[in-house]
Amino acid sequence: MNINATLIAQAVVMIVFVAICWRYIYPPILSVMKEREKRISDGLEAAKKADDSLEEAKLAFDKELNQAKAEAAEILDKANARASQIVSDAASKAEAEAEKILTSASTTIENETNKAKEELRQQMSDIIIDTTQKILGDEISKEKHEEILKKAAEEL
Amino acid sequence: MASELTTESYISHHLTNLTCGKTAEGWTCDPYKVDQMGFWAFHVDSLFWSIGLGALFVFVFRKAISKNSDASVAPSGMQNFVEMSIEFVEDNVQSLFGSVKNTLIAPLALTVFVWILLMNLMDLVPVDFLPVLAGHVAYVIAGDAVEWIKGPESLYFKVVPTTDPNITLGMAFGIFILTIYYSITVKGLKAFVAELTLHPFGKYMIPINFVLEMVNFIAKPISLGLRLFGNLYAGEMIFILIALMLFFSSIPIGVLGFGLHLVWALFHILIVALQAFIFMALTIAYLAMAHETEEH
Repeated sequence: MNINATLIAQAVVMIVFVAICWRYIYPPILSVMKEREKRISDGLEAAKKADDSLEEAKLAFDKELNQAKAEAAEILDKANARASQIVSDAASKAEAEAEKILTSASTTIENETNKAKEELRQQMSDIIIDTTQKILGDEISKEKHEEILKKAAEEL
Repeated sequence: MASELTTESYISHHLTNLTCGKTAEGWTCDPYKVDQMGFWAFHVDSLFWSIGLGALFVFVFRKAISKNSDASVAPSGMQNFVEMSIEFVEDNVQSLFGSVKNTLIAPLALTVFVWILLMNLMDLVPVDFLPVLAGHVAYVIAGDAVEWIKGPESLYFKVVPTTDPNITLGMAFGIFILTIYYSITVKGLKAFVAELTLHPFGKYMIPINFVLEMVNFIAKPISLGLRLFGNLYAGEMIFILIALMLFFSSIPIGVLGFGLHLVWALFHILIVALQAFIFMALTIAYLAMAHETEEH
């Protein structure tokens, strides 16, 4: 338990270790710790920001979705209206066409009938003229005869 | 060395350092020539453990940082411990030192704390393990060559450096020099001298002031060193006495000694850490005082 040169040696050793720690150990570890601390706080902040923007994006997405839904409903309504319009248009057009066809058909029939009547009348008058000529000979001229026939035809 | 093992020789064997120094015949570590060595003798065992544990501290901390110096990777294993101790020291320096910027204080406090903790922890190694091992190793290696090693028990070997007042006072001395250095550089020589001479009685009582302040000034490092030494020495002493119960008594007392050893070891863990912490805290406090420029 004597006090001797060990004391001085220990003081020197201590100065050496403190110097090593001061120069080579403490600053690098502390800087790494500080840097990591900064990284962590930055990371947390970034995560918070990301959360916020996610929330924002969700809201925007919802808004867009609702808008799109409304638009879609509108388009659907329009399409429905248009379709029924087309159907009713087509129906009326078809009706008109049908009527037109019907009308033209009846006109044609009438014309044909008239034509047939005319023809029949012509043939009958020819037959009558022939027959009458045969019976009467050439007494009656063709012109006079024609006149008589026309009158008869009109009476018919 | 008496081959007969008595209580007295057992205790003194455990409390004597392996001392090497220069005598009239040259350098020797002969325990019977310690008186001739005078001041220039070295406690080789204390210095061995002190340097060894200091080197362990440097190695472990340096390895932790070299293994993972990338801040983007999570720390693991030893690095967590290293960073925890640095954070602990940083907190203490912050609370005791306040705003004064001095890059040496924190590394100094860290070194002092970890180093003293490691040295104190040697106290928890059972008292006979290392001395007996060292004695046998020395006897086997140098028993024939060195004249004073006559048997395994010829070699004294004290394991806990902080139970050596030279070690604790040596560190306190180093810190004392630092406080003087910072007192002079921060406050200026004039203010430092004034602090030592103009209190507490004013400028007409300078000699008395100086004596009083000097006592105050010198008492700090001495109390710092002796506090650590006293606590650890007493702890070591109790371990030795408990060990005696195991070796020199009947079986019931031996069992009691075993229980006591366990209890004291558990309690001693507290002392080990506490004394290391106190030494560190006082180191910071003394250096903080050296930075204070107080006006009276």
